[in-house]
Amino acid sequence: MKPNRLKIAIIGLVTILGSCTKLNETLNSSLTNTQTANALGTQGVALLLQAAYTDVGSPFTVQDQLFSLEENSTDESLVPTRGGDWDDNGVWRVVHSHNWNADHSQVLSVFNALNKLSFDATNVLAFSPSKGQAAEARFLRALALYYLLDLYNQYPYRNPGDNLLNAPLVKTGTDGAQFIIDELTTVMTDLPTTGGPSKATQDAAKVLLMKTYLNRGMFANRTAPTFADADMQQVITLGNQIITGGKFSYSSEYFNNFIAGNNGGPESIFAYPNTSGVTTNNSRINARWNMTTHYNSNSTKAPNAGWNGFSTIGNFYNSFGAPTAMVGVANFATDKSGLYKDTAVDKRIGGRYFKGLTDVIGMKPGLLIGQQYNADGSKEKDRKGNDLAFDPTIAPTMIELGANLEVTGIRVVKYVPDIANGDYWSDFTAGNWVQIFRYADVTLMVAEAKMRAAAPDNAGALVLINALRAVRGAAPFATLPLVNKTNVDDPNTLLAERGRELYWESVRRTDLLRFGVFNVLWQYKPSDDAHYNIYPIPTGALASNPNLKQNPGY
Amino acid sequence: MKNTKIFITKALSVGFLFLLAFSQVFSQTKTVAGKITDSKDGSPIVGATVQPKGSKNGTSTGADGGFSITVPATVTTLVISSVGFDRKEVGVADAGSITLVASNSNLNEVVVIGYGTAKKKDLTGAVSSIQAKSFNKGVITSPDQLLQNKVAGVLVTVNSGEPGAGSTVQIRGNSSLRANNNPLYVIDGVPLDGRNAEPGNSNGDGATPSSNPLLFINPNDVQSIDILKDASSAAIYGSRGANGVVAITMKKGQSGATKIDVGVSYGKFAGYMKRYGVLDRSQFLNALTKYGAASSLNYGGNVDALKDITNNSISQSYNLALSGGNETGKYRASFYATDQEGFIKGTGLRKYIGSFTGTEKLLDKKLTLEFSMIAGNVPHTFGYVFNTTGSAGNLVSAALQWNPTQNYRDANGFIVPSNGTPNPMAFIEGTHDKAVTTSILGNISAAYKILPNLEYKFLYAINHSEGNRNVNYEGWLQGNQSIQGKGLAAILNARLNSQTFTHTLNYTVDLTSKLHLTALLGYEYWKSEFSIDGQAANTFNTNLTQTTRIPVLYTSIFQDAKIQNPHQSYVDPATELQSYFARGILNWDDKYLLTATVRRDGSSKFGSNNRYGTFPSFAAMWRISNEGFMKDNLIFNNLALRASWGITGNQEFPAGSSLEQFAFGSYNTAGQVNVLNPNLKWEQTKASNFGIDFAFLKGRIFGSVDYYNKNTTNLLYQGTAIQPAPATSVWLNLPAHLINKGYEVAIGGTIVQQKDFGWDLSVNWSHNNNKLTEFTQALILSGSVSGQGVSGAFSEAITNNKPLLVYYLKPFTGFDQNGNQTYGENPTFVGDPNPHNVYGISTTFRYKKFEMVLNGGGAAGYLVFNNTATSVTNISGILQGRNIDKKAYDSPEKPTSGVAANSRFLESGNFFKLRNATITYNAGNFGKFVKNSSIFISGSNLFVITKFSGFDPEVNIDKSNGGYPSKSIEYVPYPTARTITVGINLSLY
Repeated sequence: MKPNRLKIAIIGLVTILGSCTKLNETLNSSLTNTQTANALGTQGVALLLQAAYTDVGSPFTVQDQLFSLEENSTDESLVPTRGGDWDDNGVWRVVHSHNWNADHSQVLSVFNALNKLSFDATNVLAFSPSKGQAAEARFLRALALYYLLDLYNQYPYRNPGDNLLNAPLVKTGTDGAQFIIDELTTVMTDLPTTGGPSKATQDAAKVLLMKTYLNRGMFANRTAPTFADADMQQVITLGNQIITGGKFSYSSEYFNNFIAGNNGGPESIFAYPNTSGVTTNNSRINARWNMTTHYNSNSTKAPNAGWNGFSTIGNFYNSFGAPTAMVGVANFATDKSGLYKDTAVDKRIGGRYFKGLTDVIGMKPGLLIGQQYNADGSKEKDRKGNDLAFDPTIAPTMIELGANLEVTGIRVVKYVPDIANGDYWSDFTAGNWVQIFRYADVTLMVAEAKMRAAAPDNAGALVLINALRAVRGAAPFATLPLVNKTNVDDPNTLLAERGRELYWESVRRTDLLRFGVFNVLWQYKPSDDAHYNIYPIPTGALASNPNLKQNPGY
Repeated sequence: MKNTKIFITKALSVGFLFLLAFSQVFSQTKTVAGKITDSKDGSPIVGATVQPKGSKNGTSTGADGGFSITVPATVTTLVISSVGFDRKEVGVADAGSITLVASNSNLNEVVVIGYGTAKKKDLTGAVSSIQAKSFNKGVITSPDQLLQNKVAGVLVTVNSGEPGAGSTVQIRGNSSLRANNNPLYVIDGVPLDGRNAEPGNSNGDGATPSSNPLLFINPNDVQSIDILKDASSAAIYGSRGANGVVAITMKKGQSGATKIDVGVSYGKFAGYMKRYGVLDRSQFLNALTKYGAASSLNYGGNVDALKDITNNSISQSYNLALSGGNETGKYRASFYATDQEGFIKGTGLRKYIGSFTGTEKLLDKKLTLEFSMIAGNVPHTFGYVFNTTGSAGNLVSAALQWNPTQNYRDANGFIVPSNGTPNPMAFIEGTHDKAVTTSILGNISAAYKILPNLEYKFLYAINHSEGNRNVNYEGWLQGNQSIQGKGLAAILNARLNSQTFTHTLNYTVDLTSKLHLTALLGYEYWKSEFSIDGQAANTFNTNLTQTTRIPVLYTSIFQDAKIQNPHQSYVDPATELQSYFARGILNWDDKYLLTATVRRDGSSKFGSNNRYGTFPSFAAMWRISNEGFMKDNLIFNNLALRASWGITGNQEFPAGSSLEQFAFGSYNTAGQVNVLNPNLKWEQTKASNFGIDFAFLKGRIFGSVDYYNKNTTNLLYQGTAIQPAPATSVWLNLPAHLINKGYEVAIGGTIVQQKDFGWDLSVNWSHNNNKLTEFTQALILSGSVSGQGVSGAFSEAITNNKPLLVYYLKPFTGFDQNGNQTYGENPTFVGDPNPHNVYGISTTFRYKKFEMVLNGGGAAGYLVFNNTATSVTNISGILQGRNIDKKAYDSPEKPTSGVAANSRFLESGNFFKLRNATITYNAGNFGKFVKNSSIFISGSNLFVITKFSGFDPEVNIDKSNGGYPSKSIEYVPYPTARTITVGINLSLY
């Protein structure tokens, strides 16, 4: 009997031990939904909101995200394949030649990044935010939705607390635009009037509203946009509120808008903040100069730092008015004053001495063409030891095979390398703030709306445009039509003026669409089709959400 | 007188007889002593079991092979058995000197079947067992290398030539859509976690390759390895069994005199097993002319970077084991120290491992206590080698690209060429990356015989592992922007802790005289915790120029860094597993065997709606050779048919995947990171197996043939999250089917068996077909291609009706008239990275006291994607003075040809490799104490026969994409070396 009793006891023990364990998973480093709400309180909402702000950084900064889809698809930018470099499975070339498909990696990563911003902003609303926090979150979501609408003509949209395994509803075209307008209008008064440009303000929301109103006609019909007078009046009203608000002014030095250490500068309305020497939450703004500069562009301090990729096309360069050699270049080696020596052409084209950069590594911000120099005035060399002279002529196929493959293409250094940071061109510690909304865009949008209004006010528009041109050292226009429908780079158009002011600021594709010329052929884009006016829904996203419909033509 | 004499004689006789009778009544025992030796060479057989026939009591032989047993006087026959030898019955009178013949078919071998053991002949499932004497020899850093090519259906790919490199172990094909999915390892009944506490490093240029999690096991301590291949065998491990189970049994003490085993060996590299095909110096000079490169690119020097990065130091290894015991208590202690230099300078692996195991029988031998403890300390030094190196290059890419006419140094230190190639010698000197991992595996068990045929056993085990890694990249290193001019350092830590509680009841009963039942009932609780933390910093004040270097590591002056990234820490959600299991084995007259198992697993990883899963299996065997009509056949010693079916699970996905999680980001951010999925559950594999076991010619030829069909469904995978979402992917069960079907053949035999000469041969071959079906999702890309000019390209895909990770590349179409490579616009399916055929061959020649063992194997029917040739050694480099690929040089290609990921560098991976060849001289005994001495010389990776142009066709660099695995991709891997080892082994007692 005794052994049996023992047996029973053991089996009993086994059963007891078995039933002890509940197997509820304990998260150790992360929190459950309830813990987040309870443990963090209102502070927790601030953390969630900050996560949404952080989401803005990378997609609006690095070279292979929003920037690529908005700029490489236009006359402002392209990335030629250079021998062993920059083929990358053809992803860059197909964007410029309008030949992409739904499997394009950047089409996918931008879709995901903007939706992540949309998600994190929506999530703030599920945790009892203050009125102000809710308004900021809804602004950030509207920002994501605006760019999704612009790129894909549709966006999925969730309510806070939705089951994430269910497919959300989708808003398309003008419905999508109306939702953004309603959201921004609703939260406007709850947003702060100060605290920008790294945080949402009423001014930032007004710029986003202006953009939505201005482009609504394009969202409705991308091949032949028409513009409702009411929308144009909204653009003018909102723009004038910003202009008369007096918080923003033009920077006397154009490239000071893009330097480190000025917290965005006087023109900055909404920007992503980076801090020199700090990697945390740095959006990797160094990509903006590394992606375009030659391997040897900073040969003295950081050999091989440049990635030698992005360029602009000769016709875009010529939209500055066929510039000839600049006066400053001749005295380059001796002149260290930092003052412009020339007044002949628009200073936004760059190529002039810039203190803190040119005297350190020889580089001059702006469009880099022809011979490049070191700080001591000696000629910069390419990797084969030839003079490093950027050549505007790019191979027709965008595949460089010739002996000069390293030096083709005009380069564009808009953000001034954060040389003072001490670690030269290195990664992820540059302190330039990323401009997302800039004052000059506001004045140009107002000017454009005046010209597009039912009763065009071309004179009023010219006042705004010429005021801007005066600050940039460019001669005033007597007349300025909106666009030359056969030549997107015709210098004497408002479209060209927007290009000169806002080049490489991720607005060009939207501008070309709005001006009805996105399908006009330009250099290195031998053919086009209207379906490229909208990017495709990424294949995986389409499969996972039946409410998304693939855009026509894909 | 005469009568008196007679009386006395009679009386004495009667008395003697009486005494004799008395002694028979009151004692009736006798003591038999003897010695058991190997028939082959006369060496003593340690630990052989000696039992009186018909009794279960017995003793075992000591270190000298001797035994002494007291048996009832009626006993006339002793039964002698020992693992690896044929069972033998001897008369008591002949017991003084017994020789055993090494068994070939090993039918009586004891095989671990999970929570118990069985004799090999009684196995109903597909279990492959391999004993220490058959292990691979030569340079072995982890136990999985012991069985490379030894077992049909098991593909062990050591991922690179780095000492301590991780392995990819696939049992019967590729059955997972997830990266890092190896079989379950069970050491002496303790299931391991599978993760590694050696911190990974991604502070250089991409991630460094991961290391083998079994480095803390001393290969010399392994007694046997059993591989549970089919579902019926692995189902006892339930939700962790689907990838198969590798059960490792460690050596234990034997009763007898205390014995000391000593082993010492020294190793030296003998060059590359195979050099990568870049140009030599004269070809390079011809290439400069051929392609019209600047003559200034000939610097006039003469160097061989591939040779100069390699090391020629002597590796050393010392092993000492002490064992002994008696019938009630046994112990074994071992100590192992090895310093294995890496083939590349500045890398290496050291190990200091101690282990102690013991058994004690108490309470009238009813209670058996067993305990064991393994403590291993593994310092591991890494080179500047990464899986995902980009344009900045790594040590191997730099050596491949190095201009053979350019010296490494000038008066000021290392030259940095203007061609963008970093200096490989600088990488060696400027990198200090060392991890030290300490692991403890301890277990204690108590087994109590409640009844003679009912045993209760309790086991508690703990596996704790702690790793620290100090990474230093000196600031004078050029090429990588995050290092150059600044210096970069990181201090990283990881901890892994898992615990096992097991209760089992074992019951054996003869239901009838012919029907025998073995039953098992058990409960197990397993918990595992993992955490990592670390900090990186850059911009130091020292070692920024080559001329002002000081021998102080950044990690020793961390506070000096201007930029201190915040300390990051992460604690994995604990994984808990609670299981109930049962197994019954019915044996009718050794002719019909039936096994049924069931395991019910609850796992904290699963979603709340699917917390428990049930995993059943059934297997049957018909031993034809035991049938009456076969009893007298002269051909077959063994002939058995097996069939099995079962369901196993897989739960190797990240803990916390089913829960909604909010995580803290850097600097005051927090956000949701995971999607709630309460339905998430285990992946399920239904598998069937049909097999035949045979042995004939008196067991001199033996083997088995198996057919299997595995169907894995509810595949755990990272599906596309439905945007807007907190992450791009979400863990889902995919209702597709991943099918692996195949055949396995294993045949062994003794070709010659004479006193002075013997020749054994064994071969195995397996064929597997892998296919994903009913997959309705969008095609998934993986196998990311790295290097300058190919960012964002992929080489492999997961899609319907194709083998897993089928190559998906733009088809290469040749060269145009300008010498530029041309290729199709869109990728197509261009080949299979999964070997269809894997084979192994082992042979042993014995001549008198000499023995030669050769172990080799290979794989066939698959392609390797040479990412190195695609983006590192491509032809465009020649104009910058970089060395280039011989294949490109021999082609019509010109240096203007673009770089592109296409099918051009898909190469046949078919290979045969001579893994090791060992010649041993068994010198025998010397003097009073030295026994069984032997000396050996062994060569590892002596040669490979392949058409593949890279370092090693057996390569698997981790090119996973977003958690999807990759397969058979070569990318600037740590090369494989040829090694020669000499050593001596002896025993003292």
